[in-house]
Amino acid sequence: MKTQKIAPVMRGLCALMAVLFVLATIGTTIAEGYRSALDSVLGTQSYVTNTDADAARFKTDYATIEEMGAAAKNISIREGEEGTVVMKNDNAVLPLPANAQVVLFGLAAYAPYPYANGDLKGGNEDQVDLVDALTAEGIQINETVKKFYTENILNKHIEMVPNMWTGEEVPTISYDHIYVASPGDWGEYQIVEIPPVEFETMGAPANWKDSIDKANSTAICVFARGAGEGNTYKPGSAIDYYGNATGKDPLALSADELAVIDVAKETCSKVLVLINSGNNMVLKEIAAGGSHEVDGIAYIGVINDYQLTGAARVLTGKVNATGALPDTYVADNAAIPAVVNFGGDMYADYEIVATEGTDSRFPGESVANIPAGSFGGSSTYNGGMYIVEAEGIYVGYKYFETRYYDAVMNPSSNAASAKGATQGSAWDYGKEVLYTFGHGLSYLDYTQTLKSVDVDKTPEGNVTAVVEIKNNGNTAGKFLAQLYVQKPYTEYDKTNLVEKSAVDFLNSAKVDVPAGGTAEVTITVPTKYLASYDYKNAKTYILDEGDYLFTAAAGSHAAVNNFIVVQGGTPDGTTKEGVVVKWNLGSFDDTTFAVENGVVVTNVADDADLNYWTGKDTVTYLSRADWDKTYPINYNEVEVKIGDSPKKDEWIKELQGRTYEISNTGAAAEGTDQGARFNAEQVGYEQFTNINDPYWDKLVSEITIDQAVGAVIHGGSRSDVLENVENPVVIQNEGVSGFTTGYTDEASGKTYKFNIHSQTLIGSSFNPELAYEWGRVEGNSGLWINRFHLWGTGLTQRRTPYNGRNYEYVSEDPMLTNRIGNAILQGCADKGILNGPKHMGFNDQEHNRGGISAYMTEQKFRETDLRGFQGALEDVTGCRAVMIAFNRIGATNAAHHVGMLQKILRGEWGYTDLVSTDMMNNKYYFNAESMVMSSITQVADFAGDDAHINQGEGGVDKTWAHISVDAVKNDKNLVEQARQNLKYQLFAYANSAILNVSTVKVATWWDNALTAARTCTAILACVAGLAWIALTLLPEKKGEK
Amino acid sequence: MKNKKFSIGAWITCCAAVLALIALIVYAINVGAAGYFQGASVRNLVLFSILAIVLLAAAIVIGQLKCDGVVGKVLKLVAGCCQIVAPVLLAACLINLISARVEGLGFIYFSNADVALEVQTPENLSSATGSIAAMVCYGVSMLAAIIAAFTNVWKKEA
Repeated sequence: MKTQKIAPVMRGLCALMAVLFVLATIGTTIAEGYRSALDSVLGTQSYVTNTDADAARFKTDYATIEEMGAAAKNISIREGEEGTVVMKNDNAVLPLPANAQVVLFGLAAYAPYPYANGDLKGGNEDQVDLVDALTAEGIQINETVKKFYTENILNKHIEMVPNMWTGEEVPTISYDHIYVASPGDWGEYQIVEIPPVEFETMGAPANWKDSIDKANSTAICVFARGAGEGNTYKPGSAIDYYGNATGKDPLALSADELAVIDVAKETCSKVLVLINSGNNMVLKEIAAGGSHEVDGIAYIGVINDYQLTGAARVLTGKVNATGALPDTYVADNAAIPAVVNFGGDMYADYEIVATEGTDSRFPGESVANIPAGSFGGSSTYNGGMYIVEAEGIYVGYKYFETRYYDAVMNPSSNAASAKGATQGSAWDYGKEVLYTFGHGLSYLDYTQTLKSVDVDKTPEGNVTAVVEIKNNGNTAGKFLAQLYVQKPYTEYDKTNLVEKSAVDFLNSAKVDVPAGGTAEVTITVPTKYLASYDYKNAKTYILDEGDYLFTAAAGSHAAVNNFIVVQGGTPDGTTKEGVVVKWNLGSFDDTTFAVENGVVVTNVADDADLNYWTGKDTVTYLSRADWDKTYPINYNEVEVKIGDSPKKDEWIKELQGRTYEISNTGAAAEGTDQGARFNAEQVGYEQFTNINDPYWDKLVSEITIDQAVGAVIHGGSRSDVLENVENPVVIQNEGVSGFTTGYTDEASGKTYKFNIHSQTLIGSSFNPELAYEWGRVEGNSGLWINRFHLWGTGLTQRRTPYNGRNYEYVSEDPMLTNRIGNAILQGCADKGILNGPKHMGFNDQEHNRGGISAYMTEQKFRETDLRGFQGALEDVTGCRAVMIAFNRIGATNAAHHVGMLQKILRGEWGYTDLVSTDMMNNKYYFNAESMVMSSITQVADFAGDDAHINQGEGGVDKTWAHISVDAVKNDKNLVEQARQNLKYQLFAYANSAILNVSTVKVATWWDNALTAARTCTAILACVAGLAWIALTLLPEKKGEK
Repeated sequence: MKNKKFSIGAWITCCAAVLALIALIVYAINVGAAGYFQGASVRNLVLFSILAIVLLAAAIVIGQLKCDGVVGKVLKLVAGCCQIVAPVLLAACLINLISARVEGLGFIYFSNADVALEVQTPENLSSATGSIAAMVCYGVSMLAAIIAAFTNVWKKEA
């Protein structure tokens, strides 16, 4: 071939191979960043963990995977047994007799929520639905009704839906007609329940009612409400089955649902309604005296794979009913003071926060101040929307029971005013509240008597109460004891706006008692939780002088009635009288709990109060001193103008996320290798028990400035390996039902899914012991699947019934949340699993969660949402992770909040471990330097291998262009805080099962393929290039020209 | 130095340069337009694109020169190097763009039903389409540049 013809071919080949080499090389870098996703999609394993069983600090409790699976299943069933709440039980509708004939009505009766497998539900092969569960207990299900519901109305089928990453079509459960599983965010909610007039149209036989033996049949109607991340119910947004807007509460039973109940009453002699929801439904029509009153109501929460087996055992009386309501059910949600300020709206002059190229962090950019969605997507500070949590500590029963108490005992407090009344011209507890917190009927008659209370009033002391349970029945069974307290409400409190609930839940426990017998159960709770926060005068925790009343009671209303009786009042007579034990404090105490963990406890969130910014009494927070004058108004209907504030500039700065600004605090030391490494050889007992061991400072001083800041602000969904440190890769897992990753037994081929927990039912179980057992099983499952970091429980307070994520949380009550969270996380910690609760800091609505400002008093700040987390993060030995809220506290992004994170969490609570943000969706809202300074250890940006601040154009940070090594190297405080944060994170890793094992990276087939591609293309490019040069330089032969 | 005809290779190279320019414009519009990728510039992409265009143009210009002897051979080598490096730079642009956009495209197109509505706004979908269009343009210009590398940018004298 002539050289002139071959030369261009060689040149072309050289170009082609060079292109392929570049694609393979950069592609390798990209693949590295998505390694865990690629492993998941391609079924490969990049990291092999070698467990040395003899040396392991944390070992599984189970010898085989079958035992592990059985233990998890057992807990799941027990959650159903102990969490199912009998709310109403008339005409002996419950327990269902043996071989009872039952007719199931309602879509959720045949497809309980959630029906889809995924994060929320394990989806094990042997999962149990309601029909399975009842049938297993000997119940006869009416086949005619079941047939037309399942075959004609629901028609469960499988649709092939493309996998989001691979495009592979995967089978997905679908129905022809089903309730709306995701309510959406602040939109309309269609209550899809098929009204009976449509039954025949949809295929029910004309004589279907003839198939029911009315005299001997019980109807069970099941109604569900969906839920989901990013979802918020909007009051008044209901749409009926036909698509018509009704203007009614989406959580209230719809006319279609009531029609189903009516037909159930028409065809069956008794009717039981099951509530299958994590959001409190409005049950006025079916409760006592309601226009559609039914015989029984029971709560089954949001179920998982096996909970219905437990629920069926309760419904059939195989076990005693011991569940209790973790929330208060009211006749109208508008009666809830927190609902007055929910959802939020914009400041009158929110645009004042926007900038037009003047923000030095974003030069030349226009940054608006409008709301943004969960995934950001627009240039906005997202600081224009706010709510005022004006109800203060009075959330749920604390409002209703306190107002009731004051109506009886302190009429001068105007408790009977019309303000907040929805059922008449004057507020009346009996009309407003249907079922209170802690309510739950037992099949077996029993009495709970408080025998003694010991209060150890020291900083580390406990309240220890002994409760005697007497089983008055002729069957052995389990019983629930609940401990409540009333703290004195004094003139000092009234003067200084220290709010006190008339009744506070403290803790609970369950005990088995033989027929006719008695048993004692001891309930303990840290004494610090008796203290109240005085943000006006003492500016610390106080204990008022006077009588502290303790009682054991079946619910908060029974408890407050006990207090009324002992104080000489006349209660409403709806509960049985119980024993009250007094503990007297002789003098006012503002010192015992004023220092915690060696840190002086004082105000850290004055600016969470809207009045701090407006400079006047714009907000009146709810006070029991005068219910009428202080009942909340909607502060989104009050004109709040940032521009009118005497602190206008400071306010704008905070809303722009400039909580901390980079400044010259001195040159930061560059990290240099000093031989310290993060491995089992160097992290011994002295190191993992003492974060002040010199090893840790030496280790983090090795981290370069680039990586110290980069690893924090690009934390990702898995940790990055830091140069010099050589820490292991730690992959994070969702979610609140347990690890979503399954375990496939190679021998049997069976896959075990361990995300089979129900947070709703563990809440209504009121049983910290069961919660501990679940936590331990959750931890064990982590050891089996070799995953050590989990966002595995939700502890945000259920402020209102409308939060679409209430199913992830425990209760409206901070202390029930505190004790259940404490137990779950202690169980997990005992197995060495980093289980982080979420979302700390008032993430109590999903609507505009990524930017809304929640204003409140410091008493609310400390005694509500944070108290729910305190039990885990301060009281657990070994709780080592937490995820922070998405929203703002006051004007400050919760992830920037030094008061909450540095002063309370790390200071007062002594927490020395991992802190993550929620999803980093908006660089204008999440500010890198502010998150570093608040002691965040990892910002959740979901990328991998990007622990640097030089990956953007021109060597700056790829997300925050104002961040670079040059920009931070003279801010010693920032760099050292970043290293400190990484120390916290590595310390958490060291104290977990992560150091049980060695994690070795291995080459997968696609690693090898990429390596081969790089090598071959490089060689071929070189060969072709040389050939081309040679051919070009060769003298042309005669005749070739 | 003598005039020559414009060869097929020169035409293909010219096409590659124009396509690269179009890709750069599409990318710039995408970064400037409202939506998810507004302001989301990709490191070195503009630099690499301009370099690739310059190299392709240089190859064409050099191909129009007629020099004999050693100078002629050197010019051929230089033009050839331009033809080799240009597609490499365009490939780097393409894969860097894909790398920078894949996560965002995943959010926009594959978010779960809970949040799909708030993610899939007209602006975000338009932004995603613009990104994909830029990727396609870079891919086509890279292929054109590779093909051009197999051809000579000069031709026999007229």
